[in-house]
Amino acid sequence: MTTQGSIVLIAVGLILLFWILDLVRRDRLYVGYGIIFIVTIFGALLVLLAPPLLRGITRLVGALFPASALTLLALCFIVFMLVYVLAQITVVSNRLVIVVQELAIRQAKASLEPRPPETNSEDQSARRGVDR
Amino acid sequence: MGTTLRVLVAIPAYNEAGSIRTVVQRVRTSLPDFDLLVVNDGSRDATGQILTQLGVMTTTHLCNLGYGRAIQTALTYAQRSNYDVLITLDADGQHYPEQVNTLYTEHLRGGWDVLIGSRYIESHDYSQSPVGRRIGMRIFSWLVRLVGRRHIYDTTSGLKIIRRSVFAPLTRWHFIDFHAEAIVYLLRLGYSVGEYPITVAERRHGQSMYSLLSHVTYPLKTLLILLIAVVQAELTRRSQR
Repeated sequence: MTTQGSIVLIAVGLILLFWILDLVRRDRLYVGYGIIFIVTIFGALLVLLAPPLLRGITRLVGALFPASALTLLALCFIVFMLVYVLAQITVVSNRLVIVVQELAIRQAKASLEPRPPETNSEDQSARRGVDR
Repeated sequence: MGTTLRVLVAIPAYNEAGSIRTVVQRVRTSLPDFDLLVVNDGSRDATGQILTQLGVMTTTHLCNLGYGRAIQTALTYAQRSNYDVLITLDADGQHYPEQVNTLYTEHLRGGWDVLIGSRYIESHDYSQSPVGRRIGMRIFSWLVRLVGRRHIYDTTSGLKIIRRSVFAPLTRWHFIDFHAEAIVYLLRLGYSVGEYPITVAERRHGQSMYSLLSHVTYPLKTLLILLIAVVQAELTRRSQR
């Protein structure tokens, strides 16, 4: 991998890292997803900053070139899309949490309120039955 | 004891059918002046039925949201119902409700925003816990001291007394379990957090909320959210200036 390529990828990694941290901070990305991305980013940065490691991995998987620009671009796109989709899932999940909490609180509060007097419709029907 | 304040005791419960009846009865006996709320966090066992039989005020989550969200529900309830103090207790029977009175007196005397019932403040001895948890507690205690500038020995205690002043900050932001990350967040915002010694009993019923996998994921998640809590607290302080 060329120095220029490494710099670009490191920059992309750092941007992604700050984006992830900000999403977690704003409760737009579940912290568990954030952990997975952060570990992955640090792993990728480690490989990029240690060329022998990258060459070793290249040999290990039987690839001819350390990197293919097109593959990397596609990979970056997929990763960004993945973050976006997970952020959307987190947002929907958080809304669900709010609904569940709100429902629970309202039910508890409603149980404390005095109930209106019952109309006792069963008694009335029974009385009608007797009349008949 | 000052009884003019409105106090709510909240017990988050998830699948605690084996212990919830005893815990509720002990709280009612030991703390008759305080209101009681159980947050049934989507239990799949008989917890809900037992709570109905006991006639205890319950907020029921339709699905399991986790400990942090259950505490948040209790905080929101306490805030909306104009309670002055919220006391959280575990539903597994490990806490002695009898000790809450002493803790509450210390809370009033010390003017703490949050007072934690601590298992380790006197002995500083974590040896009764499993190795993994012991290491985790030491690390988080050290991290809280590092970034919160206060030594809290028991960051994972479920027995807490929370003053109304911190209801809003604790419901405004998200936490995992209201442990180290919440403590750091409040300390960085300038609230007072203290500890007071308590003793705990062994868990007799049910299972711990920490599964095998969570022993790996919990420290990582807490570490991440703890560091973000520092940033969030700083941003909150700046926005309030």
